[in-house]
Amino acid sequence: MRDFSYLRADTIEAARNASARPGAVLLAGGTTLVDLAKCGVAEPSTVIDISHIDGLATIDVTTDRALIGALAKMSHVADNAEVKSRFPAVSEALWQAASAQLRNMATIGGNLMQRTRCPYFRDPANYPACNKRSPGSGCSAIGGVTRGHAVLGTSEACIATYPGDLAIALVAFDAVVHLGERRLRVEDFFLAPGATAEREHDIRPGEVITAIEVPGSAAARRSTYIKVRDRQSYEFAAASAAVGLELESDGRTIRDIRVALGGVATKPWRARAVEDALKGKTLDEVTIRKACELAMEGAVDHGANHYKIALAPRVVARAILKLGETA
Amino acid sequence: MTAHDMKHAGSDSARLEAVGGRLSRVDGPAKITGAAKYAFEQQLEGLTHAVLVGATIAAGKVTAIDTRAAETAPGVLLVLTPDTIMELKGASDWFGNPPALPTYAPLARTVTYSGQHIAAVVAETFEQAVAAAALLKVSYEETPAIVDLSDGKAGDGIPIDMMTKEWGDAQAAFAAAPVRVCAAYNTPREFQAAMEPHGLIARWEGEELTIWEPSQWLDGMARTYAEWFGIPFENVRLVSPYIGGGFGSKALALAHSAVAAAAARMLGRPVKLVLNRPQNFTSYGGRAATRQTVTIGADKDGRIQSIVHRGVNETSVDGMWVEPLGSVTSIMYATPNFSSKQNVVRVNTVVPGAKRAPGENPSAFGIECAIDELAHELGMDPLQVRLINYAEQDPQVNKPWSTRQLREAFAAGAEAFGWARRSHAPRSMRDGHQLIGWGMAAGTYPVRRAHGEAVVKILADGSVEVESSSIDMGQGTYTILAQTAAETLGVPVEHVSVKLGDSHFARAGVAGGSRLAGVMTGAVYKAAGQALDELIGLALSDPRSPFQEVQANTLVVKDGRIASPRGDGPELSIAELMHAVGRERIEAKGDSLPASTTPEERYKNYTTIAMSIPHTEGDWSRHSWCAHFVEVRVDEDFGTVRVSRVVSALDSGRLYNPKLAESQWKGGIIMGIGQALLEEGIVDRRHGRVVNGNFADYMLPTNADIPDIQTISVGIPDPHSSALGGKGVGELAIVGIAPAIANAVFHATGKRVRDLPITLEKLI
Amino acid sequence: MNDQVTLSPTTLSIHLTINGRDHALDIEPRVTLLDALRERLNLTGTKKGCDHGQCGACTVHVDGERVLACLTLAAQVEGRAITTIEGLADDDGTLHAVQAAFLEQDAFQCGYCTPGQIMSAVACIREGHAGSDEEIREYMAGNLCRCGAYPHIVAAVRQAAKELSA
Repeated sequence: MRDFSYLRADTIEAARNASARPGAVLLAGGTTLVDLAKCGVAEPSTVIDISHIDGLATIDVTTDRALIGALAKMSHVADNAEVKSRFPAVSEALWQAASAQLRNMATIGGNLMQRTRCPYFRDPANYPACNKRSPGSGCSAIGGVTRGHAVLGTSEACIATYPGDLAIALVAFDAVVHLGERRLRVEDFFLAPGATAEREHDIRPGEVITAIEVPGSAAARRSTYIKVRDRQSYEFAAASAAVGLELESDGRTIRDIRVALGGVATKPWRARAVEDALKGKTLDEVTIRKACELAMEGAVDHGANHYKIALAPRVVARAILKLGETA
Repeated sequence: MTAHDMKHAGSDSARLEAVGGRLSRVDGPAKITGAAKYAFEQQLEGLTHAVLVGATIAAGKVTAIDTRAAETAPGVLLVLTPDTIMELKGASDWFGNPPALPTYAPLARTVTYSGQHIAAVVAETFEQAVAAAALLKVSYEETPAIVDLSDGKAGDGIPIDMMTKEWGDAQAAFAAAPVRVCAAYNTPREFQAAMEPHGLIARWEGEELTIWEPSQWLDGMARTYAEWFGIPFENVRLVSPYIGGGFGSKALALAHSAVAAAAARMLGRPVKLVLNRPQNFTSYGGRAATRQTVTIGADKDGRIQSIVHRGVNETSVDGMWVEPLGSVTSIMYATPNFSSKQNVVRVNTVVPGAKRAPGENPSAFGIECAIDELAHELGMDPLQVRLINYAEQDPQVNKPWSTRQLREAFAAGAEAFGWARRSHAPRSMRDGHQLIGWGMAAGTYPVRRAHGEAVVKILADGSVEVESSSIDMGQGTYTILAQTAAETLGVPVEHVSVKLGDSHFARAGVAGGSRLAGVMTGAVYKAAGQALDELIGLALSDPRSPFQEVQANTLVVKDGRIASPRGDGPELSIAELMHAVGRERIEAKGDSLPASTTPEERYKNYTTIAMSIPHTEGDWSRHSWCAHFVEVRVDEDFGTVRVSRVVSALDSGRLYNPKLAESQWKGGIIMGIGQALLEEGIVDRRHGRVVNGNFADYMLPTNADIPDIQTISVGIPDPHSSALGGKGVGELAIVGIAPAIANAVFHATGKRVRDLPITLEKLI
Repeated sequence: MNDQVTLSPTTLSIHLTINGRDHALDIEPRVTLLDALRERLNLTGTKKGCDHGQCGACTVHVDGERVLACLTLAAQVEGRAITTIEGLADDDGTLHAVQAAFLEQDAFQCGYCTPGQIMSAVACIREGHAGSDEEIREYMAGNLCRCGAYPHIVAAVRQAAKELSA
């Protein structure tokens, strides 16, 4: 990789100031930045190490909400008893991601900034054409090996899948990202490619993620994250679903349901059509499976990723049924 | 003394240390403390770092390389291109055939596969070399490439006549058979993917070249280096005491090896060159992609009347690799009529190479799935069909098996697995959302043999040294040779030090074909026996020996102490005897080559595979055998397949160390699970380029993918296969796993998948 | 350290605390902890399998937690306590319970992934993620082994966990 300058920021203010420099990039855990620098995708001139800043790693969970500092490690949040109890989907999304070592390195804020695993994006030497890396240069994936690419939220410019897990759970439960004073729904923080595949996040120069806040709810409390992949672990999702469920006191009628999809879209995908179709309905398998098909509204396949259109609704259905079986 | 006469001393610890004992690895302490130094971990004065640059086209020419930016980048010492690299001489191939061309250019001007090495940068530090390499600007003239086996431009390929095997009239018998199955079976390009990447350190001192490189064949690779540089074989020293996995990929010196050695020569400083992980997918061949059609005709009782088999594998544009696809098809079952033919198809890929059980592995996928499809067609238990068609002798060469414990393997495996409880109808077993399938398959691997040698020394302090240029890549060579020497000499195994992996040691052929254990235990047994004879001879005849007065015509050594067999007279440690007679050492070389062997033949024996001994030589047909029984759970919604149970019964003859053999077997089974469910080199057909050349996208099994595996040894000592009675271990267990899993998936789902890997989209 | 290296303008002088000892290094910021260990400090026990965080062979401990050295910049861990495989056994050579269990269970073959497996296992047990075979398999899934020592690795971790909790 090209060489760069290394600075440590002791405070968020210092980080903000330093990150306004051209070519400056923040370093938290390093699992994305160092990886992409080795690929030749990231070429920072200055790396600002924010991993030593105090006070940004707290995990504070009440009945109302979880407030998690941006520098909290994925592993610590996953293992946090309160998170497991009140936001199980968040814990499950975290521990099923990556590997134990990576989860010890990676931070919550950094995880939100994770980039796509599209093999064409990651290989500039062999594939110069990539609208994410060089706007306007074209898309090497379309017409190529597309087994892992997105079926939702794509455009002619880009079909790269958003690969993360945590953000799926965050989007399902209307989490908010704190960028200093500015607050933004996580769902709006992520951007679909459209004509600007290079813009993945609504984050401005000099802004630093400081925390995420997940509102508590009955559905968040009764939630799960199911991740389906080729091998049992240490792999990105072929399709995943974060689901939360709240039933009426009769134990069968759905009062509230949250559904978000991972592994199949260009950004974390809230499936409101499924939610709307199931609110007020009875929890029965036929109804559920039928409603889950609505998750694929607007899906476009690019050949080898066709199976995601069949798979994703089944993952959602499984999650709902699993939650329905257990209180 | 034959294998059967080997004595086992009375105590438990002695049995542990003897051949056949479950001794823990003697190289274990070095490996678990980080003390073991692998090839590129040597610290050398003045070491420089080289990085290779690969072609980004699959076919065409390099028209220009602009090196200016790289040359002036910080720390850069040398930029090598086809124009600037020193000329090397052509080297013979692994059979010893002379090269096609007198010169060899490891950096290519004409590109025949994506990733082919076209330039290299050498710098003071690794980081500087990587950064400078990215600054090279390469221009190409691209031509259409044949991207894979199914590329229309590939054609039917080249027939490999020597692979044709026929007897009876297979076509006619098939046509007349009342029950018939016919299907095509495909395996993709796969990779060995050893955890240690390929690479080396090369250092010249005058006309002498030292290479630290992970190697399965020091002598063969040393020959290649010597020929490339036109220096005597003795001037090359290859050092490889620890190897981070090979699986067939580390037996040859290849282009990257030549580049590093040339760079070191040109620079006058040692050069370290390590292939990055993506380069490990393009710089040397993995297992070639294959296609087979298997056609079986049988009578209504399940007796096979005919097998017709056709196979094709990909090879490179200018190299010839044959993956013997009929190798299991022709010997597993008795059939009166048989025809197998094979082609190769030229594809713009790196020349394929050996990956664990080349030939047998994909061959078994074909026949062992087909026999299961036959069983289904017949409505019979697949185990029964296999037993009905059991081959009592080798049907291809009509010789008796040296030993074949396959019935025993079927019986033991089925019993331990609970096969009798299988309900044979597909989709008849389930557990919640999981469809359960039970499948089985057989496997085999020939006993490859060679002549070998080893040096055994008894030193003045009573310790023993075993020396060989053979290697341990995890199969346990260090340990079983220590056990062999210890038991033969009668010394505690802690007194034995085994030195491997240096081409200055006694010669050794390739650690491939699962033959090394048989070759080397035999050689060490012989050398140790000779050393023992000399020691006892010395003790009996030397005037300074305390045993001189003893009226004995022999002595025994036990626990490192020498005494008369009757127990009377003196009793001395080896060290005491050596001191008494004033000897510094006893050194013996055990060598199984005939005494009439010329130096040229000797060189050929160790540096080529031309003198390997065929497994069907003489009166016997020699193979290892196994039977695998697997349980899979297929999620009925997701199509994901998980292996939940494996029972394998294996016949590898006598086991030199069951603890280590079991590890090898399990390793092969796990590699087979990867093959069946996960592994595939995915080619972007627009560019003829593998797009998943990394460990995130080329799926290897993780710990979470692997259940408990039970292995059962059913082997008996096979005196026709090796001096100590063992048969091959390392490549046996992978053979038959993929078909067993495919068969289990069929049993679970009713869907027959004939293309590996069996991924979820093929089942939903 | 190679005396002939030209120090770039961005070179840092850092101190790394590894296995309780202080090491002074002049390195470029882009140097990873893994390359600092292997190329500059002759601590070659930590292995490079992929250099992209995809295999786990480079697992070390930073402040007692298992991380991947290949994706860690050396500069980033100045001030933290780094433990490598070389620092696991006692000074007198007494093996860590995990190391001894690996030896007994034959939880390795070629040995290349082994230091990473052991470092990962030590942390896995400490994290409380070795409560069952299933949990061990999942929490050790970040360490690939091509030789296929997995079942024996599970047995070794199970054995060591039991011993360490006693």
